[in-house]
Amino acid sequence: MLWLITGIVAAALFAALMAVVIKDIVVAKKKKVRYGVRESVSAYLLLAPATILALIFVMLPIVYSLGYAFTDYYLLEPDYMQFIGFENFIKIFESIGKQGMIYHAIINTLKFVVGVVPLQIGLALGLALFVNNKRKGTGIFKVCYFAPVVISLTITAQLWLQILSPSETGLLNSILGWFGVPPQDFIRNEEGAIWWIVLLSAWQGCGYQMLIFLSGLSNIRQDLYEAASLDGANKWQQFLHITVPALRSTFLFIVITVFVGASRVMVQPMLMTDEKPHTITISYWMYLEGYRYREVGYSAAMALLMTIVMGAITLVQRTVLREKD
Amino acid sequence: MKKIFKAISSLALTAMLACSVIGAVGCGGSTTSDVDEEGNTVIKIAFHVDKESAEGKAYAKRISAFNTAYKDQKIKASASYIARSAGATDYETTLINQQNSNKLADIITFDAPNCASYAQSKLIYDISNIVPSSVKSDFITVNEYQGKLYGLPIQESSAGFFYNKALFAQAGIDASGYTAENPWTFAQFKEVCGKLKSAGITPVDMRMDATQDEMATYLLYPFIYAAGGSFVSEDGYTATGYFNSQESKKGFQFLKDLVTEGYTSYAIGATDFFTGSVGMYLSSGWTIPDIDSKYTSTFPDRNSWGLLPYPQDVQKASATGSWSYAITNNHHKDKSKIKELLLWMVTPESSKVITDATGMIPARRSVETNYEAGSPEDVLMKQLQSTGVQRPVTVGYPAFSSNFRSVIYGLGDNDLTTLLNARANDIQDRLDVLASRN
Repeated sequence: MLWLITGIVAAALFAALMAVVIKDIVVAKKKKVRYGVRESVSAYLLLAPATILALIFVMLPIVYSLGYAFTDYYLLEPDYMQFIGFENFIKIFESIGKQGMIYHAIINTLKFVVGVVPLQIGLALGLALFVNNKRKGTGIFKVCYFAPVVISLTITAQLWLQILSPSETGLLNSILGWFGVPPQDFIRNEEGAIWWIVLLSAWQGCGYQMLIFLSGLSNIRQDLYEAASLDGANKWQQFLHITVPALRSTFLFIVITVFVGASRVMVQPMLMTDEKPHTITISYWMYLEGYRYREVGYSAAMALLMTIVMGAITLVQRTVLREKD
Repeated sequence: MKKIFKAISSLALTAMLACSVIGAVGCGGSTTSDVDEEGNTVIKIAFHVDKESAEGKAYAKRISAFNTAYKDQKIKASASYIARSAGATDYETTLINQQNSNKLADIITFDAPNCASYAQSKLIYDISNIVPSSVKSDFITVNEYQGKLYGLPIQESSAGFFYNKALFAQAGIDASGYTAENPWTFAQFKEVCGKLKSAGITPVDMRMDATQDEMATYLLYPFIYAAGGSFVSEDGYTATGYFNSQESKKGFQFLKDLVTEGYTSYAIGATDFFTGSVGMYLSSGWTIPDIDSKYTSTFPDRNSWGLLPYPQDVQKASATGSWSYAITNNHHKDKSKIKELLLWMVTPESSKVITDATGMIPARRSVETNYEAGSPEDVLMKQLQSTGVQRPVTVGYPAFSSNFRSVIYGLGDNDLTTLLNARANDIQDRLDVLASRN
């Protein structure tokens, strides 16, 4: 059954691709463009492997996920899958109403996004401004700030667990101990744990955005700063009236990517606390529903809702931050 | 005309290319042959470990011996090894994918708590009529669900309290009377903790912090049984009234008291026992080789440390559990030859080869162990045979386990009744959904 659905979906997607190819050929012929049919077909042939792989590994899972959201698919019993309409969505809203785990997941994800987006972007911009000069040794700083990005999240999470260990020998508790502060259980603390995860994530991710900001900064013409300086603008005014507007499109890209990445946070709470109400996030909850509790249909419904919400927010962000022509 | 012909030819080529890729993926639906070129019936078995690990090598050795022994009967075992790079869920996902593509092995290994859900979903086969009663009764535990036999353990495990004899002597404690046959009581356990604390020693690492995985559940569930409590009803579908019963609450209260009275905490470092700053350490048999080989400065020999059993309250209970073998409900309808491999893999000889490689306890009573009387291994073996209790058998085991861990995680700071009621309701919600599928 599963393979039949796969075949139908794959055939439909392939037919759509073929339609695009044929349309392109017809349009090319009508407009009498310089490249011929043979070139057009050759181009599509070259694109075909990547397109087919994208269809199989990107489009198909999305289509499947959409379909599963309306079923009671239980991971161990795929043959007994039934269409149940909007039941999964109703259950999600009921669970939110009852302040179940999904409610905590939403609150924690919101906290994480609200915390990590400004912190990570702020850190990245600060670091980029700091290393954006020709002084000796800035290359070392660039490497240092970028290093956490290439380290596995699993390792950084374990590293931070050691730093935040509730034991007297934990790194942070050892330092606090010098000032007579008793050992703190940072990660079990229901109020504070998510903010430690925010800090870890911002620290881990900001190096990548720093590089993007650096690239944006290098595109700003130096004569603008020189002119502003001649007009008496101080550093802050130069930053506010030259750097920030020039980085608008970079900002837009970074805000959207950091926002999307933050909304999907999963590994850090998974490794640092497992399934706990004070650190659970939406993505982690989707994973748990699908794999630990094997409720694939319910998990897919959550994924669909999250996609809609994220898409809407991203559109708003694009509209608000769009560069004026 | 010529151009159009060329265009159509190119399109056809693209279509063929696409179909070949899709076909390559789609061909997973076909089953592989059960008979090889030499006419042997091939029985497939999947293991949950890396082939190059000590355990994997032991399995390979027994598979090789099987193939030699059954050469004349034209039965051949073919093993696959699925290393759990990302935990047990990873292995389970592989099994489910194989089941969906009709490629599931004839025999699989599975973590014992999954027995109920696998049996309920018909992933595994009822082997009640396959396994002779003499074999079944020789096992210390077996994997049953609703009165039917579904799995035979590969090996067994048990846990206990490793203790530092020097620190016990410093606190004036004589623990020699607490044996597997005659365990100590909850009160005596607290008394020992009290003496250690008075001597300025952190009494016990109960592993309260090990709630990120199954460890806390595996080590701490016996306390609830010992207090007379339970987790779910016999059919495995009711948690409220069991998980949060007065008896269960008593077991959890004992654990909570250990925290509030300062006998244990969530902040004990992972190596504090091994470096000599904690009196006792709750762990399984796999800690024995670690103490013997890695921590010789604190524990130079076996006279410097010992192993105490789980304490009892209204009844005795200790941890059990490991991975088991099961025959699957795959396309191979004739299970008679598969039975041969299953029974081969659980012979005392196989059990010995595997447990010698892993250091775990043999699953069968008849396997000769040669444990020295009173040794840690002997304590674990005797405790397992006399007081071992399985974790709850329920299709909602993952919900039970994660909620159990949530209780342990929150014991120190929350009202116990509120905590237990909330967690019991959460398990019940899951069980209700699973029950509605029947």
